[in-house]
Amino acid sequence: MNEQQKPGSHTETIHLPAPTAWPIVLAFGSTLLFAGLVTSPWISVLGGILMVCGAVGWFRLVLPHEVHEDIPVVVEHIPIETTRREVERIVIPEGDRAHLPVETYPIISGIKGGLAGGVAMIPPALLYGLIAQHSIWYPVNLLGGAGVANWRNPTTADIAAFHWQGLLVANVIHWTACVLVGLLYGAMLPMLPRRPILLGGVIAPVLWTGMLHSVMGVVNPVLDEHIAWGWFLISQVCFGVVAGVVVARQERIRTTQSLPFLMRMGIETPGLVQEHKEDDRK
Amino acid sequence: MADQTLPIHGALDLTPPREREHTLLETLHSWVTTVDHKKLGLMYMMMSIFFLLVGGAEAIFIRIQLAVPNNHFVSPQTFNRLFTMHGTTMVFLVGMPLVFAWANYIVPLQIGARDMAFPRLNAFSFWLTLFGGLFLYYSFIGGPGLYGTGSAPDVTWWAYAPLTLKAFSPGHATDYWALALIVTGFGTIGGGINIIATVISMRCKGMTLMRMPLFSWVMFVDGAFVLIVITPLTASQVMLLIDRYLGGHFFDTQAGGSATVWMHFFWIFGHPEVYVLVFPAFAIASEVIQVFSRKALFGYPAMVAAIIGIAFVSVSVWAHHMFTIGMTSAGNAFFVLSTELVGIPTGIKIFNWLATMWGGKIRFATPMLFAIAFLFQFLCAGLTGIMLSIAPWNWQLHGSYFVIAHFHYILVGAIVFMVFSGIYYWFPKATGRMMSETLGKWHFWLFFIGFHLTFDTMHFVGFEGMPRWIYTYPADRGWQNINLVVSIGGLIQGIAVLIFAYNLISSLFKGKIAGNDPWDAWTLEWATTSPPPVYNFATDPVVRSWRPLWDLKHPENPDWKYD
Amino acid sequence: MNAIPLVATSPEQEWHLPYKGRIGMYGLIIAESAIFTIFVIAYIYYIGKSLYGPTPQQVLDVPIVNTICLLSSSITIFLSERAIERNNLKTFGLWWAATIALGAIFLIGTGIEWHKLIYHDGLTISTNLFGTTFYSLVGLHATHVVVGLIMLTIVLLFTLTGHVKHEHSERVQVLALYWHFVDAVWVVVFTVVYIVGR
Repeated sequence: MNEQQKPGSHTETIHLPAPTAWPIVLAFGSTLLFAGLVTSPWISVLGGILMVCGAVGWFRLVLPHEVHEDIPVVVEHIPIETTRREVERIVIPEGDRAHLPVETYPIISGIKGGLAGGVAMIPPALLYGLIAQHSIWYPVNLLGGAGVANWRNPTTADIAAFHWQGLLVANVIHWTACVLVGLLYGAMLPMLPRRPILLGGVIAPVLWTGMLHSVMGVVNPVLDEHIAWGWFLISQVCFGVVAGVVVARQERIRTTQSLPFLMRMGIETPGLVQEHKEDDRK
Repeated sequence: MADQTLPIHGALDLTPPREREHTLLETLHSWVTTVDHKKLGLMYMMMSIFFLLVGGAEAIFIRIQLAVPNNHFVSPQTFNRLFTMHGTTMVFLVGMPLVFAWANYIVPLQIGARDMAFPRLNAFSFWLTLFGGLFLYYSFIGGPGLYGTGSAPDVTWWAYAPLTLKAFSPGHATDYWALALIVTGFGTIGGGINIIATVISMRCKGMTLMRMPLFSWVMFVDGAFVLIVITPLTASQVMLLIDRYLGGHFFDTQAGGSATVWMHFFWIFGHPEVYVLVFPAFAIASEVIQVFSRKALFGYPAMVAAIIGIAFVSVSVWAHHMFTIGMTSAGNAFFVLSTELVGIPTGIKIFNWLATMWGGKIRFATPMLFAIAFLFQFLCAGLTGIMLSIAPWNWQLHGSYFVIAHFHYILVGAIVFMVFSGIYYWFPKATGRMMSETLGKWHFWLFFIGFHLTFDTMHFVGFEGMPRWIYTYPADRGWQNINLVVSIGGLIQGIAVLIFAYNLISSLFKGKIAGNDPWDAWTLEWATTSPPPVYNFATDPVVRSWRPLWDLKHPENPDWKYD
Repeated sequence: MNAIPLVATSPEQEWHLPYKGRIGMYGLIIAESAIFTIFVIAYIYYIGKSLYGPTPQQVLDVPIVNTICLLSSSITIFLSERAIERNNLKTFGLWWAATIALGAIFLIGTGIEWHKLIYHDGLTISTNLFGTTFYSLVGLHATHVVVGLIMLTIVLLFTLTGHVKHEHSERVQVLALYWHFVDAVWVVVFTVVYIVGR
């Protein structure tokens, strides 16, 4: 069991370098050489002499042959064993962790989902404008308000009126944001362990609405006063569910994750690439 | 007390026959003339512990001085010397010898070698380091300094120019600093060369580089790393001496020289130096965590890549110590980003240690306690490091106690904790006896509490604007309560270290007999007797995986089947 | 370093590791390179920053002969390395002695140059920034040449007394490696001091 006790493979003595005082002499000499700079030149001279002695002594040790001493070997049987014989392996259930997806959605599916979600957001937003403020332009101007020049603390009536700059800016912001979030969904959904629609469609919008709700009071208190958070949440969930469903219905494509690392790096090394078994050992 | 030493069959019968008693002189002679890597490793370790006590005493003096406002426990001049010598001692006479202590004692045993590649150079390096340290401390009684005879260096451990020039630091105090560190620097270069030659040329049969235990890997990288880290310091100290002795103008701003160049040169050394010092902590953690989690280290190749990555990245981050000198914004941006890049390989290491513990059957013995504390303290230190790497934040807090707290979190919270862990872990191998677990737990908890009292609160006094290096402070700044807490924490750490010292000495004579493999570990050093014979292994070992003892202990389940 | 086995070998295969002396010398060379790098950076940074003369343009001459001598000594030492590998000890001694002679010519040349700079041009290490950086960089290199020459001379003495044999060829090659390094550094120093800096 212990390969160190192979018969015939040991000798009775082992050559080891012999103890020597020359290194300490040389080291002490070097230190004195430097110490002379802050004390007295004579210390440096002494250090130099010691260094020469040390160096000569050291050279004579290794030239022409290194000096050895023979150490007698006491061969003992060293048992290498453990009381913990049992080996347990950690079993990782498939799908127990988020992992880099082997399959993912094509990029176009994210864009599609984002656009579809963007369309789905519009009805609840406009509905809110109609019901609460009797104007479909109210939510548009809330989003695109930055585009309307010279707005300083607008009145509610102001916001409810039609402004073409507001519509333009609102559209740009709306569709850019929708496409970006859609792309994010396309990348993320395959990595969510289960129920991607629930997670991505409902829980994520609720989370970011909550986050916006908590920070908007600090970031832009004026805007915060005008937002009806219940309606906001409804339109966000609409977006999430529609975008999630659209993305999830697309066909998946294989990612490079299933290839070995070296091939992904573009290194062609036939023979070097071998399957490494991934396992946790205890 | 989840720890237990495992009974090993026949372990007690195997203690080598007692050799004849040596006289004191003979013993001394054998230690002075030795070229054996184990004895030299122990001497490095003893040197480190000795200077740790000295540097620790200096820290205690500093803390007593700062404990209350308007204090005059020591004079301002002495205070300057105390923090200069504390820093210099801890970095060069404690941290660096520790690197070589571990590398000397453990690496040849782990890679199955009889000795280091150059045993005589090894002895030479050790004696240079020791004599350099003694030379530095001789300055207390030796040459005339700025304030009359017999003064130690007082220009802080990075000795910024032009303060160090002859006009501003007359006398020899600064020369002592430069000369002594050049001497220890030569010792360091010798030690580094020895480590890389040992690892490359002395491995036992079958031990390819990717079958080396991670400890040896990290020490190997450290040995190579130290060669390009310590040498810029040696070079710039030579320049400093040329300025001081031969009237050169390297750092003489009145003749066109530049003080900023000294800062750059110093930190080109100074920042990677921190990594040189912390690498042994990584190395020890990689052994201790896997053995006490009873689970193979997670992500071995990633750990190797990460350690090399840290070494590479850390040589390009030095100027984050210099954000306040007014670099260009491109320079600032580069050093901000490169510094934050260090977080990636470091993060890999932390996650891999955590993943090693995950699902393992953890034994909470003293080495493991220190290792777990290390993990979280190292993480906190890394996070404050990321904070300080952001240039505007740095402008706000540069030179404050926040910075002191940050780097002591690394130097104490990571390095010193893992040094204690390593001593508890390998003490049985080096002496054949176990250290006391009870005292070890006392040591751990006291040190842990003292550490957090001192260095957690130090962050806050930094936020409140307390600058470093100040001799004392008025009572109306709102600093006195925190400073008192910091000082009390320092004293608690001092007590913990004294308990450790007592444990070390008493266990040496009265500790439980350890046996060859008390922790049921997997690397080659546990396959020989405790303490190992002078030739380490009676026959050259042959390995087939990076856990050779696991293979022998579990012949039905060996690692090499999975390689 | 290319001899490190990176691919897993089975224990039955031959186990061959690089010669430790060579690895040690590579380590020393890495460390020395870092020292030279710092001095070279300082030199480059301080080019043209002297507040008063003499300037390099006024006083420096390009040491062509010196440079040729030192660089060709790399060739002679390579020839002697090859000779001892082929167990041709006489040729080895001859080329080895030629190397020492070329190195000595280099040192003498440097001495003449310094003598002219100090006594004729009045440039010392404390004169100005140029003097400080010039003497320390060139002096650092010259120190390495002196150390190298001492080592080479010791080997030559052993050769003359017949102590150097074929089995020492690896040690001799390690020493030659150091000499090659000293030559390579001169290329950098020469470029920086006499071409870029002038």
